[in-house]
Amino acid sequence: MPDGSFAHPQERQFNPYSENGGTILAIAGADFTVVAGDTRQSEGYSIQTRYAPKVFKLTDRAVLAVNGFAADGNMFVKKVKQRLEWYRHAHAKDMPLRAIARLIQTMLYAQRFFPYYVYNILGGIEEDGSGAVYSFDPVGSYEREACRAAGAAQALVQPFLDNQIYFKNQQPPAGSSHPVHLPLPDVLSIVIDSFTGATERHIEVGDGLEIFVILAKGRSTQGFDGRSGVQELSTTPEGDRVFVIRRELKKD
Amino acid sequence: MASGGGGAYSYSLTVFSPSGKLVQIEHALAAVSSGTTSLGIKASNGIVIATERKSSSILIDDAVIEKVAVICPNIGIVYSGMGPDFRVLVTRARKSAQSYWKIHGEYPPTKILTQEIANIMQQATHSGGVRPYGVSLLVAGWDVNRGPMLYQVDPSGSFWAWKASAIGKNMVNAKTFLEKRYNDDISLEDAVHTALLTLKEGFEGQMTEKTIEIGVVTVPSEAELEEGKVEGTGRYKPTFRKLSEEEIRDYLAL
Amino acid sequence: MSIMQYNGGSVIAMVGKDCVAIASDLRLGVQSLSIATNFQKIFPVTDRLYLGLPGLASDVATLHERFRLLTNMYTIKEEREIEPETFAQLVSSTLYEKRFGPYFIEPVVAGMQKTPSGGYKPFIAATDLIGCLNFAKDFVVAGTASEKLFGVAEGLWEPDLEAEDLFETISQTLLNAVDRDAFSGWGAVVHVITKDKVVTRKLKGRMD
Repeated sequence: MPDGSFAHPQERQFNPYSENGGTILAIAGADFTVVAGDTRQSEGYSIQTRYAPKVFKLTDRAVLAVNGFAADGNMFVKKVKQRLEWYRHAHAKDMPLRAIARLIQTMLYAQRFFPYYVYNILGGIEEDGSGAVYSFDPVGSYEREACRAAGAAQALVQPFLDNQIYFKNQQPPAGSSHPVHLPLPDVLSIVIDSFTGATERHIEVGDGLEIFVILAKGRSTQGFDGRSGVQELSTTPEGDRVFVIRRELKKD
Repeated sequence: MASGGGGAYSYSLTVFSPSGKLVQIEHALAAVSSGTTSLGIKASNGIVIATERKSSSILIDDAVIEKVAVICPNIGIVYSGMGPDFRVLVTRARKSAQSYWKIHGEYPPTKILTQEIANIMQQATHSGGVRPYGVSLLVAGWDVNRGPMLYQVDPSGSFWAWKASAIGKNMVNAKTFLEKRYNDDISLEDAVHTALLTLKEGFEGQMTEKTIEIGVVTVPSEAELEEGKVEGTGRYKPTFRKLSEEEIRDYLAL
Repeated sequence: MSIMQYNGGSVIAMVGKDCVAIASDLRLGVQSLSIATNFQKIFPVTDRLYLGLPGLASDVATLHERFRLLTNMYTIKEEREIEPETFAQLVSSTLYEKRFGPYFIEPVVAGMQKTPSGGYKPFIAATDLIGCLNFAKDFVVAGTASEKLFGVAEGLWEPDLEAEDLFETISQTLLNAVDRDAFSGWGAVVHVITKDKVVTRKLKGRMD
């Protein structure tokens, strides 16, 4: 009370969560996977930073995109990386993708009653060399898919992906069928179109775009070697390789 | 019978005479006929409306007299008859144009605005406690569908379109003059001169830029129409305007 | 749950080259229960002007009747049919009249507008439930799937589509958007309007 008395009961609240906007998406190819996210981080109508990465390389064959409450996301990635390092120390190899997926489920569900306020999308190369995408809800439900969008502009991007990746509502030409996997250049175009579209219509999406490309062992860089802004992140060119393509998005 | 000495004139509402006439309207027309002459001429590329504005005393500051009135950017009117009644109608017509704009996002076509004014004038012929308006109007305007149109509205509320017409004191002579002079494809410039010549017929005293008023409708060119609305305002360029004293002086000098 | 979502339904309109298209789903529901799969949300106003009314179903009926009255009165008074842009203004002022007790409808207008030179140009517009106009040059969306429609349309639409391509674009946009919306779908209808004719097609969609 202003007079310093305790005559009336008072209640104060602390809200441990916030929502920091942005959007992530991942698409699996036959022998590659693309994981992308914008770099804007916002709270309400304020932009906190124009460059806050949401997509992280875990191993030479696994990339994790986290979207939702940024603080939880960063902490979660940190803990996953720690577990993966322990795995390396114990087994002298990187954890396989499907094992990382299960690990993430376990870690998320461990916080069932005080969850990480984060949507995860894990992309990479499976042990059989195929591209894979795993998507999670905040408490660990997960599924392997060919593509997934999450975050602020999920509603804008996911139906576009349904149409362009799964060919939903499209009839294949007579006597043929739709391809199961698209080639890398097509996938990159769809990713870029998705984000420019989302940037145009969603205020929480924009500023920058980071596209991670994970190539299966032995696959050439054909499909993006002509592009500008490509950087290799993998530790060795022998096994599966990870690249990142950085692009600008509109900043208004 | 109403008492008070006014006799048959003191009825507060217009009633039919046994012969089927509305005497109040006839009186209103008489008021128009004794008013100053006004006229309108439709040209191939526009319309001119004009009137005398003579004041009864040199002591009157005639700078504030307005007999040709802008109703909305595409329509203007002029009158013969009673000045105060005209002022009321101008206000009503302007309000009508604005409420049309509020609903449709554009100003009314000339015919619609004329109908609105005619309705107001007609209502005065069968409403209680009022008398008919003592004016006839010439309504000149342009709209995209009908192009330039010139209407006359009478105290009865009847209205019709003219190619050229005159109202007021010198109406008969002026109309005869116009009938001789008019043809369908005169230019707006020629129409202004014809209007001046017609007014000159029976003009008492000196005709100067101070003693007449002129308003013109100009038909926008194809290019101007395609260009569309004026940037920022969201409106089309005005098609009706009053001529300034300088412009009138130039016309008189020719 | 908002009253705007009570019955469900979505409408989209797009501009093409010398043509416009307007399309809607056909669902009528009560919250999550689907009631009908043939609920009309798009109505002709003139031969080359259509009006989409997504929102509360009872207001769809009310506003359809109201705009029929207003346009009939206009046609009689002005001795001509109303032009799309003028009609959009009429929609706006009619909705704003009920500023503090609005109709729960977000109308979409699509038509071919007469130009002063005698030609026709495509016109689309949409308003919110109190009549704030949005004259877009590309596409407008409304209804429960509006976010999804924005996303897909932003990806698929391009300038100067011919009538047949515009039909394909608007159909794909609508179908894929409503498939991700629980309150829209169950079939669709598409009108492609050109200066001299309107082609109306019914689309089969997912029924789940």
